[in-house]
Amino acid sequence: MTAGVLVIGGGIAGIEAALNLADLGEQVYLLDDTPSIGGLMARLDKTFPTNDCSICIEAPKMYEVQTHPNITLLTNSIVRKVKGKAGDFKVTVVEKAKFVDEDRCKGCAKCAEACPVSLPDELDGKLGGIRKLIGLPFPQAVPNTYVVSPLCRFGHMDHAGACVGRCIIDCSQCRECQIADCVVACRKEGAEAVLLWQKDKRHKLRIKSIIVATGVEPYEPPADHYGYATYDNVLTTMQFERLMNAGGPTEGDIIRLSDGKHPKRIGWVQCVGREVGLKDELPEVPQAELKADQGGHLPYCSKVCCMFSTKQTIIAKEHDPEVEAYVFHHNLKDYGKGFHDFVRRAQGHGVRYLKGKPSDVFQDPETKCLTVRYEDLDSGELHDLELDLLVLAAGLLPGQRNARLAKRLGLELNERGYFAERDPVFAPLESTVEGIYLCGGATGPIDISESVTQAIAASLRAAEWGGEADG
Amino acid sequence: MADRAADEPDPRVGVFVCDCGSNILGTVDVPAVAEYAKGLEGVVFVDEGRWICSADYLAQIKAFINEHELERVVVASCTPRTHEPLFKDAVKEAGLNPYLLEFVSIREQSSWVHRSRPGAATRKAMDLVAMGVAKARLLEPAQEIRLSVGRTCLVLGGGIAGMTAALGVARQGFEVHLVEREARLGGLLNRLHMLAPADIEAHKMVERQAAEVKAATNITVHTNTVTGSISGYIGNYSVQLKGGSSDELEVSTIIVATGMGELEPQGLFGFGSHPGVITQMQLEAMLADPKASKVDGKAVAIFNCVGSRNAERGCCNVGCLASIRNAITLKERDPAAPVFVFYRDLNVQGEEANYVRQALKGHDIRLVRYDPDTPPEVVMGDDGGLMVRARDLLLDVELQIPVDLAVLTTALVGDPSVEELKGQLKVSSDKDGYFQEAHIKLAPLDFAGDGLYVCGGARSPKGVRWAMEEAMGAAMRAVIPMRRGYIEAPGIICQIDHDLCSECGLCAKVCPYSAIEIVDPAAKRKVPNALEALCKGCGTCAAECPSDAIQIIHYSDRQIEAQIVSALALEPEQKILAFCCHWCAMGAVDLAGVSRAEYPPNARLIRVMCSGRVKNDWVQQALDLGAGGVLVAGCEFPTCHYINGNYKCQKRIERLTKKLAKKGYKTDRIWNVWMSAADGPKFVATMKDMVEKLGLDAEAYGIEDEDVDEDGDEAGDGGGG
Repeated sequence: MTAGVLVIGGGIAGIEAALNLADLGEQVYLLDDTPSIGGLMARLDKTFPTNDCSICIEAPKMYEVQTHPNITLLTNSIVRKVKGKAGDFKVTVVEKAKFVDEDRCKGCAKCAEACPVSLPDELDGKLGGIRKLIGLPFPQAVPNTYVVSPLCRFGHMDHAGACVGRCIIDCSQCRECQIADCVVACRKEGAEAVLLWQKDKRHKLRIKSIIVATGVEPYEPPADHYGYATYDNVLTTMQFERLMNAGGPTEGDIIRLSDGKHPKRIGWVQCVGREVGLKDELPEVPQAELKADQGGHLPYCSKVCCMFSTKQTIIAKEHDPEVEAYVFHHNLKDYGKGFHDFVRRAQGHGVRYLKGKPSDVFQDPETKCLTVRYEDLDSGELHDLELDLLVLAAGLLPGQRNARLAKRLGLELNERGYFAERDPVFAPLESTVEGIYLCGGATGPIDISESVTQAIAASLRAAEWGGEADG
Repeated sequence: MADRAADEPDPRVGVFVCDCGSNILGTVDVPAVAEYAKGLEGVVFVDEGRWICSADYLAQIKAFINEHELERVVVASCTPRTHEPLFKDAVKEAGLNPYLLEFVSIREQSSWVHRSRPGAATRKAMDLVAMGVAKARLLEPAQEIRLSVGRTCLVLGGGIAGMTAALGVARQGFEVHLVEREARLGGLLNRLHMLAPADIEAHKMVERQAAEVKAATNITVHTNTVTGSISGYIGNYSVQLKGGSSDELEVSTIIVATGMGELEPQGLFGFGSHPGVITQMQLEAMLADPKASKVDGKAVAIFNCVGSRNAERGCCNVGCLASIRNAITLKERDPAAPVFVFYRDLNVQGEEANYVRQALKGHDIRLVRYDPDTPPEVVMGDDGGLMVRARDLLLDVELQIPVDLAVLTTALVGDPSVEELKGQLKVSSDKDGYFQEAHIKLAPLDFAGDGLYVCGGARSPKGVRWAMEEAMGAAMRAVIPMRRGYIEAPGIICQIDHDLCSECGLCAKVCPYSAIEIVDPAAKRKVPNALEALCKGCGTCAAECPSDAIQIIHYSDRQIEAQIVSALALEPEQKILAFCCHWCAMGAVDLAGVSRAEYPPNARLIRVMCSGRVKNDWVQQALDLGAGGVLVAGCEFPTCHYINGNYKCQKRIERLTKKLAKKGYKTDRIWNVWMSAADGPKFVATMKDMVEKLGLDAEAYGIEDEDVDEDGDEAGDGGGG
């Protein structure tokens, strides 16, 4: 058997790298530590600057991964150990139990209907969506298999009525569960797919090169930031994205959490979480030390937020032309192909770009409307603006699990927590270890288009190992 | 031919209906559907299975195919999106051509969405199966079409992107011809001084890449050379070079890396009226020249966004960084010389923003923000020198500054060669004059047609790092078909009947993939030739063809018309005939199913790969057969999985509606709706809307509910539902 290429991370970058390598004839292992591939892109409603529907263009790629004869999909899996060197890595992967048999599960949803424990859907954050302890990660998930949350399986939700914690026998030792409602429902259906006693699987892979495509994570603003935790009508851009999405908790109805009414005045604040903020403008001001994320702040520009927000203003306007949309910013990053036209399109819809960063937000206790106080950078004047909904364009963070993965792969992280490159000038996308390449959000904040570009580029480099003889 | 000749004996059809546990059986009376299928014309065998996608049952399907000598197979179960490949394999293993399988979705389209109406759901499932059988009887075997691809790649442009792409392809063991119009490699970098944020001299970058290019034995460099003509398609390009080399090349793939151009800023900021007003590129050249010190000690004002970020074109992507880098160089050479940078937004992203802040530390460079509506003026002073008049937005003061040099960071524009090259390559450019990629997000380095790739400044203005990433990616895209040695089109492709063809040339014009060529473009008779391997099967050519001369295998006119007739055989006035594209409209239908959304059961769905396939004749046929409504649903704009099929469809439907209105048809029955694959709720709403506005009776099938109810209840109990 020829050695394969391991792609770590099943977001759009990992998917593209895997498909390109597989089309080239390489054996590819695509690994993701969540139960489905798709990554952050699967959580978006639309993509800038064309407003293509995100899942419409990503899902076909996900199905292609699933059916590609050269790709082995390892979801819910982590890299445990890596030995050897470029051209001949030996990688141990642990495929964590989903507690549901992928082949036997037919998606009938009987298990989820039977599950007694509802908990907030982390996809929806403060929007208040609900999911069960067993369920599909999202409707288009690949593989399209129900998954039992580890919160259930290890007794963490005992107090809420999850069955496992109540059992006197260690369920990993038991094959006869008649207590768990999901198991019973599945048995009644005749599928026998829910297997609470399922064990983790270990795979030993022969790998010639590795692509790290672990992506980025949305930044969660601190609780006191612009009243994020206390005011109902202050959301992040990711949460607003779920509001826009026809597949989201409101079926695409853009509403205020406080009263369910349609907001008519919406503001977007850029650079939320950026430590330096206005100092960008005034280099004479003594510089704050630029160091990795320590105080809950982002010491860099996240690149995508300006266009992400612009997209949302256009969609909000298209949903309801009466909406007044304001974007608070101080340096509009319309740098990429089609970005400036996209901003002009928003302006054509009547979206107003205000140069200034809000200093304070106050909530009217009665109406739950928000008064934003900001300094107009061009005029220097202080203004108050009343809004129905405030959206915080929070930036992007390195993957939380980067450090652990870096340790296992022997890679270095840069001071921001992203994977470091050996020689960013002459050898883009090469990590600090030979035979391991980087792409997408593993390298830093990035948009979809550039992620895809990097993924294809990294796959070229990964394919250089072993050469054509295998093809 | 795509269709069976009329005199051939009827093929033996087998139907396999799935219970999917209680997923289907819980609502649909599957035994009744199976029984109904037995009575359909052509059907010789029917079986019902609890889970027909299980390995056991798949083995059984193979046995049934052999035992009953089945020639066509209809599978009635879930969505083909996930399960069709499984059944295709099973059919294939049984010795049948996999294109003789027809997949019917009675779970997503019926049992999951009409749960409170088991009778209607059963009736709909019966209709869907009948439609599947009607189509299956006319199915023809199809083959994947292969076209061989050789091992030579042409790279146009010898700048940093072109050199990087050439090296990427060459390292994989393929032959590369690198064509550069200038005398030496390096492109735009030859005119630059320092690169930011790398802080490396541009010539070092060029020298290093050029040395590797020269060292590579499988790269042939043609300098002082451009392309005279390009013809052919992937695997078969003939390229005539002219200039330094006049070789005629036979290549398989082409990477376009022709870079970007610089706007001539005539009349902007005093350019052309005073020798002291120069462009950023001219400043770069001055700074790079080790002998000249023309700039040392001079007062310099740099103006960013000259001619960019306006209605004509976007951000130049590199100007902010370049202007800051050059300002620092000026300061390093003479810390006492005043340097001003007039800017609109500091458009630097990610790490670059930090680079700028770090770099500015300790350098007394005055940044002045200006308002694009009242930009700074550069005028001749009384002493013949330059005077800058500007308003500093941040400090709200008017400035009058005498300077020696005014440097304009001018817009970058598509290279002038784009116009000619796009004709040679038969590709398009965007409004800013750059090449247009197949899809800005998911196919940024491909052109719509196979075998052509784009990277670097040819695609959009960008810095070295990004250009190198794109170049490596474009190299990968070109290497894939060359390493495989072929490209392969699935069996769903177009076929032209030359007896029917009126030789109008429309098909070649509408094909988004240049998969139809005109044999002799100069001739009056536009004889089309289908390059089958390039065809993606969207069917737009067939729908546009005025002579019905084009068929799409697996989606032929006769097959679809048979589905239409079957769907509208009973109570057509209560039915909605819905043509749905495979990608988004059916995606929305599937999502509504997974979400268990309820909607009226009136629709009968016909799958097409693209809404661009939907022929006007079909819509009219459905109306003639008395359909209560006709829905044509495709991808929400601007998405189309075949570049622009939905746009073409929309125009045709508009034309048809006008035409039919004149003929006295009730055209309010024609609905053309665009939806994304996330638009499950929109499909549901459309169904409800159509039923309500067209006055259809959602209960029309209720008569049967009484008959079926008992069975339905039984089934429900059995399934635990």
